[in-house]
Amino acid sequence: MSETSKMNDTIVQMVNNLKTTGPTAISEPSLKRSLSSSPSLSSSLEEATPTKKFKRQSNFNLSYVASPRETNRLRFDLLEARNIIADLENRIQHMHHVRKQMQLMYDNETESLKRRHDYDRKTIEQLEDQLQTIRQRETALKLELSEMRAKYDQIKVTSEEELMALTKELGDQKDQSQNKISDNSREIYDLKQKLAEMENVLVAAQDDAKTQKELVKELSKELKEKNAAVIELEMKKVELIQVKNQLRSLESAKEDYLEYQQQSKLHAKKLNKFIEMEKENAQLKEDFARLKTNLKNKLLLEEEVHNLKIRVEDHKKLEQRLFELQSQFDRNQAYLNEWKAVARGFCESNDNDAVLPHLLRSSIERLQHQELSLLSEKVEFETQIKTAQHEAKVAKAELEKCQKLIDELKTTGTQKQTLIHRMQKKLQLVSRERDSYRLQLDSYERDLTMIGESGTSIIVQSQKERIDNLEKIVGNYRDLVEKLENDLQEAHPQLYTDVVTIKQEQTARLQQEVAKLRDEKEQLLEQRDRLEIQLESLTTGQDTLHGGQAFHLAINPLAECLKERQQQLESLQEENLKLKNKIRKMEQGLETSKLGEISICPQEVQSLREQVKNNEKQTQKLKDYFKSSIQDFRNVVYMMFGYKIDRPTNSNVYILRNMYAEQPEQLHFQVNADGGLDLMENEYSMTLGHLIGVFLIRQKSIPAFLSTITLELFNQRTATQTY
Amino acid sequence: MTTAAVKNKSAITLKGSSDILCDYLNYGINSILFQRGLYPSEDFQATENYGLNILMSTNNKIKEFLATTLGQLKEWLIKRTVNRVALIITNVKTLEVMERWDFTIEYEGNIEDGEAQTSDKPLKQIKNEIRDVLRQIASSVSYLPLLDCLCSFDIQIYTTNDVELPEKWALAEPANIKNAQSVKMRSFSTQIHKMDTAVTYRNED
Repeated sequence: MSETSKMNDTIVQMVNNLKTTGPTAISEPSLKRSLSSSPSLSSSLEEATPTKKFKRQSNFNLSYVASPRETNRLRFDLLEARNIIADLENRIQHMHHVRKQMQLMYDNETESLKRRHDYDRKTIEQLEDQLQTIRQRETALKLELSEMRAKYDQIKVTSEEELMALTKELGDQKDQSQNKISDNSREIYDLKQKLAEMENVLVAAQDDAKTQKELVKELSKELKEKNAAVIELEMKKVELIQVKNQLRSLESAKEDYLEYQQQSKLHAKKLNKFIEMEKENAQLKEDFARLKTNLKNKLLLEEEVHNLKIRVEDHKKLEQRLFELQSQFDRNQAYLNEWKAVARGFCESNDNDAVLPHLLRSSIERLQHQELSLLSEKVEFETQIKTAQHEAKVAKAELEKCQKLIDELKTTGTQKQTLIHRMQKKLQLVSRERDSYRLQLDSYERDLTMIGESGTSIIVQSQKERIDNLEKIVGNYRDLVEKLENDLQEAHPQLYTDVVTIKQEQTARLQQEVAKLRDEKEQLLEQRDRLEIQLESLTTGQDTLHGGQAFHLAINPLAECLKERQQQLESLQEENLKLKNKIRKMEQGLETSKLGEISICPQEVQSLREQVKNNEKQTQKLKDYFKSSIQDFRNVVYMMFGYKIDRPTNSNVYILRNMYAEQPEQLHFQVNADGGLDLMENEYSMTLGHLIGVFLIRQKSIPAFLSTITLELFNQRTATQTY
Repeated sequence: MTTAAVKNKSAITLKGSSDILCDYLNYGINSILFQRGLYPSEDFQATENYGLNILMSTNNKIKEFLATTLGQLKEWLIKRTVNRVALIITNVKTLEVMERWDFTIEYEGNIEDGEAQTSDKPLKQIKNEIRDVLRQIASSVSYLPLLDCLCSFDIQIYTTNDVELPEKWALAEPANIKNAQSVKMRSFSTQIHKMDTAVTYRNED
């Protein structure tokens, strides 16, 4: 590094000198430069930073002594340095290029890493989702767990009590078992002794074998061709060891088995007891329930007692009332007797009490009937009285009228008497007149008789006399007329008074009529007003013409609207008819295909298809899940119990294969009609006759049978392995 | 049209008065058609007149119908043979008359003058009166019963007996309303014609 730095310095110096002084001499370090020019290639990176040193160098500003040789050398050096610089620049460029490539590579890598990162993120998210679902499940399971724990606590409490009892029993039985164990130990001791003996025998046998081995060795030395036989012998030895192992295992198994038998017996006893205890427990529970119900009943009874107390109080009150009522009853009885006596007296009969009310009632009814008839008679009489009174009134009115008439008649009678007087006077006058007329008549007769005899002079005289007479008569008549007029005037005031009364009546009547008519008029006016109001209300909606014409354009919006409506109605009716026909045809089964397609809504179909797809997916998921779970179960069972269980499709045979078994060793179980399992015969099962006899026929325990097979196979396998 | 009536600023002729009346009827009937919802509101366009925004129908059929009807009415108004103009709104389904808008016309001033009759009433005052009536028509929606059925309208012109039936015109049947209630609006006058506006509608019980 120091060399390179020095070289750098010299280069810089040279450059400076070239710029400042032109061809100048260079000091000692240049000598070294040529030597160090080749290693400087490796430090090309440091070449990039010469400026700092240049500055420092510029401060020196040394002057060089010019000499031609040195200048030549320097030039040469310079050229060399320039070459180096170019070379280095090339290198730098190359390095830049490399660097760019590297950068590109890095970029690609970073991108790929980013993708990877994104992918990882997604997977993380998915996993988080899964985690959440799992957490949810966990919470649900926790809840279940808590419930189960609660249940478990309950069971624990009950079972602890039972356990206490059982532990006591266990203690007793332990003692018993210890005794038995001691017995067993003795047996074991004997067996051990036997085993020792056997071992001794074995040792002896081994010794024999050793001697035989020696012999064999000798023989092998002698007979190398018989090596195969030796190998067989070795194999036999191995088998012997295996047999020994088996023996040992069998012995231990036998011991264990015996122990198991004893324990199982004990457990069976315990179990029997436990069943009894359970029964007791059930009984106790029932008792408890009964007691509870008794308690409830007691409460109910208490309530009933309370109710009964209240009732008793009520009864007391009722009793008091009863006493009162009894006393009242007695009183009433007395009254009744009195009444009965009265009734008897009333009915005038001494019949039974039972008949008495009927009699009384009948008599009363009779009396009531009588009363009713009397009442009706009374009413009739009253009406008669009323009518009579009315008639009397009418008669009175008539009487008054008659009296009035009588008075009138009296007055008229007096008037008539006066009139008669006057008439008599008149009659006298008239008779006088008659007499005078008679006289005149006589005179005329005389005249007539005279005419034939006497002359005209006499006639004239007689006529003059007659005229005088007649004039006298006329004067009399005039007097009479005057008299009569006087009379009339005298009589007139009386007549006038009559007229006045009649007129008064008439006017009264007329006034009444007028009043009536006025009332009527008012009523009619009111009616008219009412009718007018009614008419007004009716006429508001009426379109009154008041004598004129009403015109409208023939083509008005209403008419057009109605026409359109009519057209629409017709088209709809036509459509309706068409549709009806179609329906009829459809009912007949002609156009089913056409309309069937139309009737099904495409959206519905789509939705149904989606539903079907979803359902299929779900079922597929479930299938997969079940398959995986079944597989897991099978694996776990295989790992835990050492058996692989298969069932060929469409059969009720289960094929079991042990973990430690070799290929053909299979057990076939068939499900029988009772739901139990039967072992089927095959080559392998034929070899297990002893185990079948012990476990399946005698003990009837398939698990024990299977586990012994497992143990056996395991032992075989391990024995071979250990060897 | 109104410009014809206001040729001489101080006087309104008989013809001008008829024009004013027809104008009023045109705006009034359009306003009623809009307010009562006989046609969809998209068919109407707002125009300003009498200082009010009045919605006029853009339906060509209605326009044509109103133009012919009001043209005939104008002739009869000049002849003084019209008593009343009625806008009848009918239920198309049941043919029941739902509403009747009566525009009663009275003739004022010196009728003996004939066609030379003029009025000195300022046009602005008349327009204000008309504006008030149109406002009342617009506000009548608040008390008139809702027309919730398909309805259409017709215009009947009540004339004196001595009028001959023109071509394309027919005699109209009286439009009676059951259980009716009537509301009278303001009236306006040109001092030649006096127009009373009233609406009779079916009272829903």
